[in-house]
Amino acid sequence: MIHIENLVKRYGDLVALDHLNLDVKEGEIFGLLGPNGSGKTTAINCILALLKYDKGTITVFGKPMKTTSYDIKKNIGIVMQEVAVFDQMTVRENIDYFCGLYVTDKEKRRELVDEAIDFVGLNDYEKKRPKKLSGGLLRRLNIACGIVHKPKLIILDEPTVAVDPQSRNRILEGIVELNKKGSTIIYTSHYMEEVEQICTRIAIIDHGQVLATGTTEELKNMIKPKEKITIQAIALDESNLAEIERIPHTIDVEYEDQVLKLRFESAEHNLIRLLNYLKDSNIAFGRVFSERPTLNDVFLEITGTELRD
Amino acid sequence: MHLFKYRLLQTIREKDLIFWSLLFPLILGTFFYMSFWKMSNSMGEQEDSWETIPVAVIEKDTTSQEAAYFSQFIDEINGNVIEIKDYSSEEAAITALQNDEITGVYYVDKEPSLSIAKSGINQSILNGMLDSYMKNAQIMMDIATDHPENIQKLMTEYSTMTDSGDYLSDVDLSGKTMNPMIAYFLALIAYCCISGAFMGVHASFTSQANLSALGARRSITPTKKIVLVLTDLAVLVLIHFVNIMILTLYVWKVLKIPLGIPIVPMLVTNLMGSIVGISLGIIIGATSKAGIGVKTGLTVLLTLLPAFLAGLMYGNMKNIIELHAPIINRINPAAVLSDTYYALGVFSDYGRYHRNILTLLAMSVLLLSIAFFSLRRERYDSI
Repeated sequence: MIHIENLVKRYGDLVALDHLNLDVKEGEIFGLLGPNGSGKTTAINCILALLKYDKGTITVFGKPMKTTSYDIKKNIGIVMQEVAVFDQMTVRENIDYFCGLYVTDKEKRRELVDEAIDFVGLNDYEKKRPKKLSGGLLRRLNIACGIVHKPKLIILDEPTVAVDPQSRNRILEGIVELNKKGSTIIYTSHYMEEVEQICTRIAIIDHGQVLATGTTEELKNMIKPKEKITIQAIALDESNLAEIERIPHTIDVEYEDQVLKLRFESAEHNLIRLLNYLKDSNIAFGRVFSERPTLNDVFLEITGTELRD
Repeated sequence: MHLFKYRLLQTIREKDLIFWSLLFPLILGTFFYMSFWKMSNSMGEQEDSWETIPVAVIEKDTTSQEAAYFSQFIDEINGNVIEIKDYSSEEAAITALQNDEITGVYYVDKEPSLSIAKSGINQSILNGMLDSYMKNAQIMMDIATDHPENIQKLMTEYSTMTDSGDYLSDVDLSGKTMNPMIAYFLALIAYCCISGAFMGVHASFTSQANLSALGARRSITPTKKIVLVLTDLAVLVLIHFVNIMILTLYVWKVLKIPLGIPIVPMLVTNLMGSIVGISLGIIIGATSKAGIGVKTGLTVLLTLLPAFLAGLMYGNMKNIIELHAPIINRINPAAVLSDTYYALGVFSDYGRYHRNILTLLAMSVLLLSIAFFSLRRERYDSI
């Protein structure tokens, strides 16, 4: 559905997109995951033909994307990072206005506006102006304005920034629902949990480059650590630590303030082997956590820096 | 219509914008009325109490024919427009001029001249009298050289004109007010036109993808940018035009300031003023990436400065500029606008009105074209 090849965008000396390559397939929820300033929004703006770029090609629905590609634009819905509505118009008027930029038939527009209001759950706020809405409701209005014309491709650029957990869940559920109804979604975020929760495929982007692409599982399998074990309230000496390091498949051991953290390569029974050692050595311990690696671990492994939340 | 309707709704609901573009000029007009107009006499009294302009006349040449003609001219307007004061010497006359006892000193010479110590309407009138005389004298000289057979006929006509006082009809002082306070109200209406720039700046922010998220959202729809731009312009010019008409009618009908401008020319002038103001704002708004604060500051400067130069804060300013740098009055939209109102309301000078309308039309076309191309941009270097 979207094909980007060797996209380069410079702002003076700063290279915002550095030979970015990306493919988004029809029907997927494609996540663009990267820290702030990694190039996600720049890439989106290039796809939408809002930004000039220095090099590369972008095709959408199989056609080159230009400022005059009105046939492509009518099938795209965009939900900006920043809320983009008119403060002087009511919820319904805003949605109707933006729908009118895509749909000229008045009757059809009315139906679409009703559906969009239902979809985002703003029925009780139809006549309210944006300034009377909470942050979460405002984000929902922002989404309604972007998806009211039922586009085939919906681009959501960090739609949950500064949103309360309840509204965030509603928004994420809504995105999945839109995808089920047939829309392809591009979802950019620096919240890895959200991306992990809803995206069928993810591209990790940093410094304007795609560092890795795949499903959540594929990305996690790309890195060496496969299991993290944390044990609290444990007293260990140097010899204990040396013996723990020798447990099979251990990658590294970290011990600080009576908290032990271990990372293991892919293998079964890592936790049992560790607990057996502690029992045999008569070492008391508190709570134990075993975790699969997160996208943050993937990001950390690939880039050497944490994905800032 | 859908886009027009919502853009209209959105704009008229913008309280700040409506305050500054409509209520503020109305308040300012009321303030002018209370400060200046009420303090002066009523308009009728103003007209009745029209005072002649005190001048001194120094005869430098008593022998030439040219000096004799000018002396005759001065005598004919004495008591009508000017009042000749007698002084024993040129020095005494100059001292009187410097002490504001007289407004000017006419020199009767082969080439007549005028000395003034200040700028002002009365000084402009004296200067206008001299200019007018010089032009007519030149015409007579030309006819005498090229068609000497007609000179007698011309002299007869000229004599008839001056005898009956018709000579003065080029500058219509009768039946129209010359109250200089009117300049404030005309400058206010001109300022109101230019202050449409605030609406233009604001609109450009919601149209440009590099200035706001709203602009970006509107830019990526299948609706052509040209449609969005033209709709915005139409809405803004309409609203601004209505605002200016409300102000003009308020000044004219409610405050009873005798602007004396015929309705059709007034509509045309106000429409031109609206276009100039809105276009100016769009250009300020769309041609750089500076924030709304910077652009608002720039707009304040670019609206108040022309208004100041057109006499909004100091009624005589336009005359001072006319005397020292007349080109500024030709290119300052506020000055051209106030001059257009003046040409209609005070002088009934339709030649001057048409010239000004052409100037405003040229300004409108130029500014509108720049504004249109500024807004039409669809792809940006940075957002």
